[in-house]
Amino acid sequence: MTNFKAALEILRNAEVNFVVVGAYAGVLHGSSQLTRDLDICYERTSQNIKRLVTALASCNPRLRGAPSSVPFLFDERTVSHGMNFTLETDFGDLDLLGELSGLGQFPDVARDAISIELFGQPCRVASLDAIIRSKRAAGRAKDLNALPELEALKEMTRKK
Amino acid sequence: MSSVAGKLTAAEQKRLYELVLNPPLGSKVEAAKNYGVDLTLTLRSLTLTPTERSQEMESALLLMEEIQKAALRIDR
Repeated sequence: MTNFKAALEILRNAEVNFVVVGAYAGVLHGSSQLTRDLDICYERTSQNIKRLVTALASCNPRLRGAPSSVPFLFDERTVSHGMNFTLETDFGDLDLLGELSGLGQFPDVARDAISIELFGQPCRVASLDAIIRSKRAAGRAKDLNALPELEALKEMTRKK
Repeated sequence: MSSVAGKLTAAEQKRLYELVLNPPLGSKVEAAKNYGVDLTLTLRSLTLTPTERSQEMESALLLMEEIQKAALRIDR
């Protein structure tokens, strides 16, 4: 199982620019759904990719579900040439998203992200509106299934 | 209120409890209830801070993993 606190600490200590997205972001907003992985949208600048690769180097990142015979080198070149990665690490499952359906890349996601206190540290989390937009755009059954609660949550927490 | 503001005030919790019990017709809350979402769980989550929400979810996942392991042992 993913150790969310440890994962976030590793990224924050390395000063990686990222926004928490996906189901875990929904949980932080108040969704009662469960998720096993941490999804982050990372900034795709060469400096940030370097920080990301350095941060995860000691966590043994590998392609989730791939046979060990599949070659995979997690380095700056791989991240620069790719976009989204579903990884398994020593602290658990981590999805690195350079781009999200319905939202775009880091600058778009960060624009209306909110800062919350999480495990005693500030953490940027996608807005509830953004999570809803991305799940609707992704359109997979599990995303669509999450929408009724997220939309109700938005209504429940709307400023009076 | 914001969903990430942390703990609800007693007045907010009371208002939301009534909203969940008697959602307005055509509202998203009503749609979620009709879809089968247990919004009392969502409301309970709103009484926690984001850190507590994360910790509670991890505890639930750990419990599920333990149950799955136990079920596998029984199957053998």
